[in-house]
Amino acid sequence: MIQSNDTDSYRHQPPKWPLRLLRFFLKKEYLEEIEGDMEEIFRENLQQHSLKIASRIYTWDILKLFRPILLKNIRQTSTLIPFAMLENYFKIAWRNLIKKTAYSVINILGLALGIACCFLIFMFVQDELSYDNYHTKRDRIYRVIHGSKSVDSSTGKSYPFWVWGNGPIGPALTAEFPEIDKVVQFSGRADILLSKEDKVYQEDGIFFMDSTAFDVFTWELLRGDPKTALAAPYSIVLTETTARKYFGNEDPLGKLLKAGQSAGRSREGHFTVTGIMKDVPSNSHFRFNVLASMSTFKITRPEVFEDWGYVDFYTYFLVNEKFDRAAFEKKIPDFIARNRREPDSEYTFGIEPLKEVYLRTEAERQPGETGSLPNIYVFSIIGVFILAIAIINFMNLSTARSMERAKEVAIRKSIGAYRSSLIFQFLGESFIIVLMAMLVALILVALAMPSMEDFTDKVFMIQDLVNWQTIPVLLGGLLVISIVAGSYPALALSGFGTVTVLKGITKSNMGGANLRKALVIFQFSLSIALIAGTIIVYMQMNHVLDKELGFDKEHILVLDYNYDGAVNEKSEALRIEMEANPAILSAAFSRSVPGSYFPNAYTVLQSGDGEMQGLGQPIFQVGMDFITHFGLKLVAGRSYSRDFPSDSSKALVINEAAARQYGYTNPADVIGKKFSQWGREGEVIGVVKDFNYISLHRTIEPLTLPLAPYESRYLSLKIKSDDIARTIEDVSAIWSKLVPHRPFLYSFLDEDFNRQYKSDFIFRKLFTTFSCLAIFIACLGLLGLATYTAQQRTKEIGIRKVLGADVRNIVALLSKDFIKLVIVSILIATPISWYYMNQWLEGFAYRMEIKAWIFGLAGLAAVVIAVFTISFQSLRSARMNPVSSLRSE
Amino acid sequence: MKKTKLGEFEEFVLLTVAALQREAYGVEIKRELEERLKTKLSVGSIQSALKRMEEKGFLISEFGEATMKRGGKRKRIYHTTSYARKVLSEMREIRAGLWEAIPKLAHELKLI
Repeated sequence: MIQSNDTDSYRHQPPKWPLRLLRFFLKKEYLEEIEGDMEEIFRENLQQHSLKIASRIYTWDILKLFRPILLKNIRQTSTLIPFAMLENYFKIAWRNLIKKTAYSVINILGLALGIACCFLIFMFVQDELSYDNYHTKRDRIYRVIHGSKSVDSSTGKSYPFWVWGNGPIGPALTAEFPEIDKVVQFSGRADILLSKEDKVYQEDGIFFMDSTAFDVFTWELLRGDPKTALAAPYSIVLTETTARKYFGNEDPLGKLLKAGQSAGRSREGHFTVTGIMKDVPSNSHFRFNVLASMSTFKITRPEVFEDWGYVDFYTYFLVNEKFDRAAFEKKIPDFIARNRREPDSEYTFGIEPLKEVYLRTEAERQPGETGSLPNIYVFSIIGVFILAIAIINFMNLSTARSMERAKEVAIRKSIGAYRSSLIFQFLGESFIIVLMAMLVALILVALAMPSMEDFTDKVFMIQDLVNWQTIPVLLGGLLVISIVAGSYPALALSGFGTVTVLKGITKSNMGGANLRKALVIFQFSLSIALIAGTIIVYMQMNHVLDKELGFDKEHILVLDYNYDGAVNEKSEALRIEMEANPAILSAAFSRSVPGSYFPNAYTVLQSGDGEMQGLGQPIFQVGMDFITHFGLKLVAGRSYSRDFPSDSSKALVINEAAARQYGYTNPADVIGKKFSQWGREGEVIGVVKDFNYISLHRTIEPLTLPLAPYESRYLSLKIKSDDIARTIEDVSAIWSKLVPHRPFLYSFLDEDFNRQYKSDFIFRKLFTTFSCLAIFIACLGLLGLATYTAQQRTKEIGIRKVLGADVRNIVALLSKDFIKLVIVSILIATPISWYYMNQWLEGFAYRMEIKAWIFGLAGLAAVVIAVFTISFQSLRSARMNPVSSLRSE
Repeated sequence: MKKTKLGEFEEFVLLTVAALQREAYGVEIKRELEERLKTKLSVGSIQSALKRMEEKGFLISEFGEATMKRGGKRKRIYHTTSYARKVLSEMREIRAGLWEAIPKLAHELKLI
C-alpha cells in the first residue's frame, strides 16, 4: 500500500444517504463496527476502482445489510416488559368481563343507553343550534323588528315587537346608512293558487321577495341568474321539489305558471319561472316553496310601499365592516323622526342579528317557526342526568366489586406493581368498557334514528354525529367518561394496604359503602325528579288540550279558499246548499278561525266618560253566522242578524277583554257606544265571552269581530260525528258543483288548533322517553347492586334462616337499606323538581296547579320500582337452601 | 451436537475466525473468506452470520483499535469460544468418521 495513494483516497467520501439510512435502521450497538467496516472496504475499493464504482459497491453493500438480525426491532427493545404487562391487563379485564356476565351486561348496557341518549340529545340540540348557520354572511345579517313606544295600560308592560312591519323602512335604511350594504324585504307568507294545465295546487309558503335575496341569503340557485331572477314583475323562483311538482322532468326555466290572486298583494296572472333553487334547508328559521318577485307586489299596490302604517313586510339587511350595533341603535330615534312625519307616532323599531332569530327572539309575527332555548337547556340537562346515572351505575358496581378485586390488587402490589400502574390498569379497564358501551350506543342511535325523526320532524343523519369534527370530541368524551367512571375504583382499589387485604381483614367502608349510598341517593333523586317532571308535563298538556276554550272546536271542518272573491260571491248559495245536507249542522264564513292567522286593527271607541279612545287589538272579520256557529256566548247585547240590514256596516261585536281594554268592567255598559274602525263607523251591538282564539301559552287578548262577509277566507262547517268520510265527500261534491275552479282544501279545526302545541308535544314525547330511560338505567344499577349485596350476605342469610327467619324477614332485611335511600331521595328531589317545573309552567298562561300528591306519586313509583327490582334478587336469596349457602367454601 | 444448527456458511465464518486468531474483524474475515471461497461476499452476509453466532454463543467479541482508514471507527475483534471449538471439532470428527465409513470398494467401483 503506497502512502500517498492512501492519503489521496481520503479526499473522497462515501455517499452520504446510504449511511444515513444505515444509521437510522441499524441497531445502535452494531453501528460503529459496521460503519467502520464499510468505510475500510470503500477505501480499499477506491484504490482499484473509480470513485463512482466504489460508491456504487458501497451503496449496494449497505442495502444488503438490511437483514432482520442487524436491524432495530421494537419487540426486542426496552418496551418488551410493559407490553407483556398490557397483555396481562387485557387478559384480566377480559376474564372479569366474562366471569361476571350479568355485571358486565348491566354496566355496558346501562352506559350504552346513557351514551345513546346523550348522542340523540346532542344531535337534537346541535340541529337546533345549527339554524341559519348555512348562510355564509350570517354574521352580517340583521333584521328589523317593529314596535311601539306606548305601554299596555292593563299590564304595564310594553307591547311585544313584531318582525312583520311596514315597507318604506327598507329603502329608507338603504338610503341613510352607508354601513348597510343590502336590504332585502319580503311580504308576509302568501298562499296562491298556482296551476299548470291540469296540475292545480294552492301553494302555501310563497314570499314576495326583493331581488337582493340571493345577495343576502345563501340559497343556491341551480338555474337562472341570481341578480335578475327576482327583478321583473311576475317572475317566480321555484324550489327543486316545487318545480318537479308542476313540471316533472321538463325544464321549467322560462315556462309560465298560471296564478290566482294573492289578496292584497297581486292580481291573477301568469308568472314566468326565472330560477330554480335548491330546497330551503330544514334548519332555516323560515322556509318556503316559491319566491315571487317583490315588483309584482309593487306594481299591484304601489301605495303600500310608501305607507309607514301598512304592515306586510319583513325587512332583513346585510351590513358591512363599518357597522356597529350600539351606534346604529342610537341613531334609530333620529331616523324615525326624519322619515315618519306624524309627530305623535309611537312607532319605533329595533334590530336582531340573524344568529338570534331562531332561539333568542321574543318578537311576534315571525316569518316561520322559532325554537325554544329553555327546551334546549332542559334536554341538555336531561342528557347530562342520564349520563350521570349511567356513570354512577358503573362506579357503584365497580366499588361494590372492589372487595373481590382487592386480593388481586394486593398480590400485584406484593409482586412489585407500582400504584400508578394499578391506577392505569383500572382506568384501562373502564376505558375498555366505555369503549364497548360507546360502540353499542352508536348502534342504538342508528336504530333509534327513525323514531327520533318521527318525534321531532327533523332529519337526522348519523354523519352529523360521527364525522371528522366530532371524532376528536367523541374520543375526548370517551376518555372523560372512562376517567370519571373509573376514577373511584382506580384510586380506592390501588390504595388498599397489601398486608391488610392479604390477611383477610376487610372492613365494609373499604368498599366505599358510604360513597355508594350517596351515589344511589343522587341517582334516585334525579330519577324521582324526572318522574315528577313527566307527570307534570303530561298533566299540563292534558290541561291545555282539555281546557274549555270558549268555542266549539270538535267536528268542525274548515274549508280554505284563500279569500277567493268568486267563492265569496257565492257564499250565500254555498251556505244554503251545505245546510241542506242533514249531516251538516251549520255553516259560517270568516276571515280567521281560532288558531289561524288574524290581522290587527286600530279601533277608536267611546270610553265610559264619553271621550273617543283609539287602541289596537286583534280582529276577526266574520260572516253573519260566525258567533252562533262557533258557540260563542253573548254576555251582553246581541249578535249580528239578517233582520238588521245596517249590521253590515254600522255594528260591531267585541269580546269582554276588549270591553275591559276601553275601561268597561260591566260589558253591558259598552253596548250602544260609538266606534270607528278601518273606515267604518257605528255602534257596538254585542259583547261575547272571552274565548281562546290563540294558544293557551297566552292569555286572551282584546278582540273585535266586525261583520265583513266578503273578506272571508274560510268556510267552516259543523258536522255530525257519524260517517265523517261520507260527509266530506258530500261537501266536496257541493263545492265542485258551485265553485269548480277552486281546489277543495279541508282540515279539522281541532287538529289545526292543536298544531300550535306541536313543539309542546315534541317536548312531552322527548321528555317522557328520556325520563323513562333514565329510570330504567337507574334500576339496572340498583339491580346490580342488590344482587351484589345479596351475594355478600349469603352466609348471613343462611344463618338467619337456620335460626328461624322466614322469607318475609329476609326480604325486608335486604330491601330496608335501599328503601331508606329511596326515601331520602324523595326528600331531596321534591323541592328541586317543584322549583324547576314551576319555571317551565311559567311559559303557559293557563297552567295547572302543582299538587303535593304528584311528588307522593313520583316517590311511590320510585319505591315500587326499587322494591320490585330488589325483590327479584332478595326473594331468590331468601328462598335459597341455607345448607348450600353455609356449605360454600 | 443435536441443536447447534451451524449452517455451512456459518461454519466457514467460524473456522475463519478461529484461523485468523487476533486479526479476526469484519473486513479481515471477509477478505480471507473471499480468497478461500474464490467468490465475492457482502458485508451483510458476513455480519449477519457473525451476529447470529454471537447470539448462539459460538463467538465473543470486543472492540479493537480505531484506524484512519476506518474513519476513526473501532474494529470489533471476534474470538471463538471453547464451546465453538468443541462443536467444530465434533463436526470434524463426525465428518471424518463418515469419510472413513465410505467403503473403499464403492469408491473404487466409481472409478471404474
